This record gives sequence, structure tokens and C-alpha cells, in this order.
Amino acid sequence: MPPSADRSVASPVLRVDRVACTAHGVCASLLPGSIRLDEWGYPIVVAPRIDEEVARTAIRLCPARALYLAQR
Amino acid sequence: MNEALWYASRAAGIASIVLLTAVVVLGTVVAGRRRPHDDSATVAAATHRWLSLATLAFIGAHVATAVGETYVSIDLVSAVVPFTSSYATLWVGLGTLAVDLLVAVTVTSLLRHRIAERTWRAVHWATYALWGFAVVHGVALGTAAEPLLRWTTALCGVVGLGAVLWRVNVTTHDRERRRAVAQQEWS
Amino acid sequence: MTRTDTLADVLDAAGLAGRGGAAFSTATKVRAARASHAELIVNACDGEIGAAKDGWVVEHHLSELVHGATLLAAGRRRGVLFAAHRGSRTAQLLSAAGLDVLEAPPRYVSSEESALVSLAGGGLARPMTKRVPVVTGGRDSRGARIRPTLVLNAETVWRVAQIAERGAAWFRSYGTPTEPGPRLVSVSGYVATPGVLETQAGVPIRSLLDAAGGRHPGAPAVLVGGLGGAFLSPDEAGRLQWSRESLATVGAAVGPGVLTVLDPWTCPLDVVGQLLRYAAGESAGQCGPCMFGLPAVAREWDDVVLRPSRAGEDRVRRRVELLPDRGACRFPDGVGRFTASALRVFGAHLSLHAGGACGYPSRRSESRAAVG
Repeated sequence: MPPSADRSVASPVLRVDRVACTAHGVCASLLPGSIRLDEWGYPIVVAPRIDEEVARTAIRLCPARALYLAQR
Repeated sequence: MNEALWYASRAAGIASIVLLTAVVVLGTVVAGRRRPHDDSATVAAATHRWLSLATLAFIGAHVATAVGETYVSIDLVSAVVPFTSSYATLWVGLGTLAVDLLVAVTVTSLLRHRIAERTWRAVHWATYALWGFAVVHGVALGTAAEPLLRWTTALCGVVGLGAVLWRVNVTTHDRERRRAVAQQEWS
Repeated sequence: MTRTDTLADVLDAAGLAGRGGAAFSTATKVRAARASHAELIVNACDGEIGAAKDGWVVEHHLSELVHGATLLAAGRRRGVLFAAHRGSRTAQLLSAAGLDVLEAPPRYVSSEESALVSLAGGGLARPMTKRVPVVTGGRDSRGARIRPTLVLNAETVWRVAQIAERGAAWFRSYGTPTEPGPRLVSVSGYVATPGVLETQAGVPIRSLLDAAGGRHPGAPAVLVGGLGGAFLSPDEAGRLQWSRESLATVGAAVGPGVLTVLDPWTCPLDVVGQLLRYAAGESAGQCGPCMFGLPAVAREWDDVVLRPSRAGEDRVRRRVELLPDRGACRFPDGVGRFTASALRVFGAHLSLHAGGACGYPSRRSESRAAVG
């Protein structure tokens, strides 16, 4: 199997629903290496590929339900 | 035995209203406050969720022991269907109603990511009502012989009401800007 | 094979890409629309500043446009919606022709794909978060279902009709292998004969400006793509081609086909400032990085024009870096691109301001009149 086929099982990408996001900051607090906040408290996704387990916790804890996983 | 159940029911009841009030206050903090550059929102959100499950346990115990003890007549049906107990129909009924609403809130919260967000939100607003019913239920059914229980419940009422008033009046930069722009022409 | 399957194949062979700005493969969108049983909205809004080609298609090629829409919507239950801004001549023409008009409010972002879908669904004309492409539907941020909708630019739909009639080979006889087909361009601003031109990828931009009467030698820049686009210096406008590759060398793109010549009498820094203030006021107010970020960029720009400095320019740059990919739509991305290119092209003039000189007679820009 060609090497590129392995990339299909790469971790999914964490995305922010920007309309739903109201700057609680829970995501940055849980994923300090991957998400930082701008001066108004909105997330800057620095490293979108996150371990799925950790991502699911952040998704669950976001009070605004503004985080979701996407394929790329 | 029956006396033990009677006391257990009161004890679980007090624990429930105190915990429920704490859960509601934490909920208002999560909803109304934005201090995103520290961990307080995460602590508040996680504690709110975790504490609500603990509250359910105590409410479960409170209802089970209240049904089980025979000093006053509250059967299983009236623990589920509001305003059907022969004892203190209105006050017990408010408690039952509160639990029914809490079940709806709990189920929708556990299934939050499987249902529409607006559905979860609409049901979650019922927490204010159910908390109010629980406080009235507790104050009304607290007997004069144990004023501590009544006063504790009343104190929960004051604290919770304070949190609700704060929540209604507080605003965040995000909320204000959204509101201001939403008033422009968009259709 | 159904009619729309064959249609997608022909569009594929022709290499038709969307003419609304994103240049996405129309065939791919049509196939996705077929799979989702999507509704059709023909976007004739001319939403970008200086845009006029959508209205031009409606004015001069309405029957072909409607034919294209009919081909695309073959089998759809609902009627096709033709989107135009309320009160515009385009809306009047569409309405007079008996077509179903989706009237968008006069807001910059209201002509965005998902904003039109939201409006058509009974909501506000504001963009929605696209967890999945709008053509496949999905749900909005409140969990309400989005009706799968194919939104295509009016010129794109017109080209569909032309390709169905004259064939893919005809289409490919224009333009370049990677950007085939005839294209419309709207030339506006400080030119003798502004208007819509038929052209194709690869032509010198100079020739487009000449066809509209020529660029005044004192014009400080040419804006490609309006508020969501980028500036070309006079030299660049003279030597670059109307193509993705050529424009990419200066951070610009063909976009929705809008060329605007800045007038020689107004300081371009003021023109940019005016447009940034306008942009700040046009945020849909749904996403933090936009509703706070755009006013901040506008303020920062005004500051650096008033008190030019390297540090000030860096502050603008830093704010611009926080705009892309942080909203529900590409509006902040566009404004960021616009601002970055302004710094690039007008950086030298900013230094003049630092020395206290400007040279332009008018320091007060005349709102949008200065830029088409």
C-alpha cells in the first residue's frame, strides 16, 4: 500500500464554530499548546490536529458547543 | 426504621437544595461571566456538570426515602406525577414538578451533542423554574420543629435569586456587540 | 444518465469555475447539488464594491440566464430564486421578468452564499458557519437544518447555458488551459468609460483599463477585487495579466471580476481608511474576530496614517494576521488581504506622511465615490 494511504487515519482537525463561540476560553485552558486566545478571548487555533480523546473533552466542555471535529 | 427514613429524607432534601443552588449559581457564572484568559471558566463549567450529577444522587435518595417512609403518604406515582399526593398536594407537587424538569434537563444535557443546540438551550432555561419550585417546596415543607432546615433553604433561595438577578443584568463584550449589530438591517 | 449528470460532465470538460470570486469547479458543485437534491439560488447581487457584471448579465442576457438556471435546476420541486439587492435595477429587471426574486438587504455580506441561503430559509441575511458545504445542507449553529442549496453567480449560470448550447470546446477556445472560458470584468472608478467588458484569462490588465478609457497617469493604484481584493501599483497594473498566476505574484486574485482605478486627487491612505471604516460597520456581528477585529484594524490604520511609524505598520500587520480563517465567512479574510496589500503598495507614501508631506490635493476621501 502506498505511504500516502496512511494519512487517511490521521487525527481529525478541531474546528471552531465562530458564530457559536462567545469567548468563554475553556478550549484554550484545556489545550494550551494548540489553542491560544486573542485579546478579546476568542480562540486562535495554532495546531488544529489534536489527539481525538483530548479534543472530545474540549468539545464536551465548551459551554457554547462551539467546537467540532472535521476531516481536514 | 421508619423514623430513620424520615430523617434521611429531610437530610437528603437539605443536601439536595444546597447542591442544586450551587449548581444553578455555577451555571449563572458560566453563562454570565467572561474571564477567558484564566482557567476559571473551565473550573466553573466542569464543576457545574460534575456537581449536577452529585445533586441527582441526593435528589434520588430524597425521593426514594420520602416514598419509602410511611409517616406521611407519598406514593411512587406522586413522586413522578405532580400534584397527586394526598399529603401537602401543592408543596410536594412542586417538588415532583422540579424533579420532572430536572430529568428533562439531565437527559438533554447528556445527549447535548446528539440534539439540536436550540432544543438543549430551551430545556435548560427550565432550570431556573425548577430551582424555584424546589426552594418553595423546601421552605413550605420544612417543619417549625427544625427551623435550621427552613432557614437553610431560605438562604439558598436568597443566594440563588441573587445569582439570577445578576445573570439577568450582567452583560459581556460579546453579548453587547452581537446585540448592537443584530439591531441593524439584516433582512 | 440524467440531464444534470450529462450537464456536469460537459461543465467538467469545459473547465467552468465559479465567477463569483471563489472560482470553485462548477461541475463539482453541480454533482454535489444533484446528490443532495439541492435548491438553486442564482446570485445576481454584485455584492463587491465596484461590481456590475451580474446586473449586466441580467440586463443583456436574461433569457440565456434563465435557461441556464432551468438546466441546473432540472427536477427541483421549488422554483429557482434569483438574488439581488432590494431596490436595485437588477431586482427590478428580474421582477419585471416574472422571476422569483430573493431580495437581499443592502449589506456587504448579505450576498454571501450562506447569507442568501439563510435569508431564503426565512432567517436573516447573515453568513452561517459551514460545517459542511451549503450545497449538501447540514445544520446551522443553533442546530436548525439548512436546506441544501446550490448558490451560483449569475455569470456562472449564464456560462452554463452557453456551454450547453455551444459546447465545451467553444468555452475552452478562450482563456488559458487552467482558466478557460470567456470572463466578464467590471472596470470602475476614475476611468472615462466605466462598464462591463467581455474578456478572458491571460490578457494584459493594461488592455482592460484602456478599453474603459485608460488609467490616469496620476492614479496611485488599481484595486483588483474591491474590498476583498488587493491593490496593484501603477507599474504592476501596466505589466501584469488578468490571470491567477500573474496576479498571485502580488497577492491579488481575479476574484469577482472588479477593477477599480483610484482617482489621482485623493490620498490613497484616506481611501483605504474610509473603506476599512465601512468594512468595520458591515460585520454581521456574529464572530468575535470580525466584529472586534475589523474596527480594531480600522482604528489602527487611522492611527498609523495620522502618526506614521514602522511600529504602527507592524501593529496593523499583526491585527491583519488575526483575520484569516477565524470567521463564519471570508469577509474578514478579504479585508485582511486588502489591508496587507495597502501596506505593501502605499508603504512608501506612508513614509512621505511621516515626513509631513502628502501631495494629494484632497485629504478627505469622498466615501465610495473615490472607489467606484
